[in-house]
Amino acid sequence: MDIVFRALVVYLFVLVLTRAVGRRELSTLEPFDLILLVMIGDLVQQGVTQNDFSVTGSFLAVGTIGVLTVVFSYLPWRFQVLRPVLEGVPAILMQDGDVVEKNLRRHRLTQEEIAAAARVQNIGSLSEVRWAVLETNGQISFVKKGGDS
Amino acid sequence: MDIVLRAAAAYVFIVFLMRVVGRRELSSMEPSDIILLVVIGDLVQNGVTQSDYSVTGIVLAAGTIGLLATATAFLTYRSKRIRSVVEGEPVILVQNGETIERNLKNERLTLDELMEQARLQQIESLDKVKWAVLETSGSISFIEQK
Amino acid sequence: MLPVPEQIHRVTGAPDTLVLKRHRDLDGRRRGIIARRALLALLAAVLLAGLLDVFGQRPDTDLVSARAASLEVFAPVHARSGVLYAARFHITAHHDIRDAYLVLDPGWAEGYTVNGLAPQPLTEADRNGRIAYGFGHIPAGQSLIFFMSLQVNPTNVGHRPQNVELDDGEKAILTVHRDITIFP
Repeated sequence: MDIVFRALVVYLFVLVLTRAVGRRELSTLEPFDLILLVMIGDLVQQGVTQNDFSVTGSFLAVGTIGVLTVVFSYLPWRFQVLRPVLEGVPAILMQDGDVVEKNLRRHRLTQEEIAAAARVQNIGSLSEVRWAVLETNGQISFVKKGGDS
Repeated sequence: MDIVLRAAAAYVFIVFLMRVVGRRELSSMEPSDIILLVVIGDLVQNGVTQSDYSVTGIVLAAGTIGLLATATAFLTYRSKRIRSVVEGEPVILVQNGETIERNLKNERLTLDELMEQARLQQIESLDKVKWAVLETSGSISFIEQK
Repeated sequence: MLPVPEQIHRVTGAPDTLVLKRHRDLDGRRRGIIARRALLALLAAVLLAGLLDVFGQRPDTDLVSARAASLEVFAPVHARSGVLYAARFHITAHHDIRDAYLVLDPGWAEGYTVNGLAPQPLTEADRNGRIAYGFGHIPAGQSLIFFMSLQVNPTNVGHRPQNVELDDGEKAILTVHRDITIFP
């Protein structure tokens, strides 16, 4: 019984932790962030398993995480009110080539970081950007000016 | 002997879990997803190795998983039926700018999430999308209108 | 390239190798979707069984009373490999027990790591293939509580008896019948 319960608690803890830390901080997937994420995962796993070496135990724990994943994807889909809480809201960082200072400050982002993210998407200058949005998964999306818009 | 069986059981269980839960949920590579994936990997590893700290044990367990992965790849290459069972099939989500509601519902995808994925590929509006397909890997591919 | 007849995507105008009927309208895939949901429900049911302690390791209490004494055994009856637990044996003497022995089935030791016994028994011996712990004299009205700290070895899988007999010297006073099931 306990292992299912521990897996449940840990799932909720990871959810709260990653929401509290802020989506940008751990999501750039630099080696440093990845190491931290793996470390967190390892630490958390010890708490779930404790001294249980059994296959049954690991299936129960992994199954719990799997089912909770479905539950927490169903809930925001079914109940719109839960979306901001569980998934967060996208934040507009740039509009027509101008940065929205307030949102940059709020998400502790510098203009250099946005420019770097833009270069990764083959955008050389921020003046080409029509929209830049900090998405709920922590990535920054860009929509270029021009075309039919 | 046991460690090979345990590794095989773990492999089958993971394939089952990823298929039943759906890949999309854990494939967005948000920090929480990565942590959960690491936790899942650790938990499974713990059940497979148990109190076995030997190099022989690692070789047997990792070898079993490697061999099963190859076998799965071979079977899914050879048979279309097995491929659709093990990997699932792509689902069309948007056609000519129109969402296909039933398929979004089946995959518990909200319009917000679909748009987020579109923006990450520099697409600002679904009007410009000819096709959007949820691939078996869990990512969404977009093909723009010409 | 996937083996898709060329005319299919020409005719329907879907992206290469996709078929509108199958990938948009989900024709012929109902069964797969239903199967997926059924398996998810099955998984949830197994987890619920886990929460309801089918796979261990909440301890169970077994109490057997006789005229001379009663014995309560508090230990899991389902466990998984690797887990630690302590079994508690609570003897209450209604009459004087001159020479108390707890006689345990070998299932209490086989495939276990015995981490410790508290209090340490006065004697430890074999009694016809079972383990006998001697505690000496327990006066009438008094209790003796004995703990056995155990860890299940990972290779110890299966079902075995864990009966406990309380003896006064060679004479059996009572027996607590129980079994343990150990999951892999």
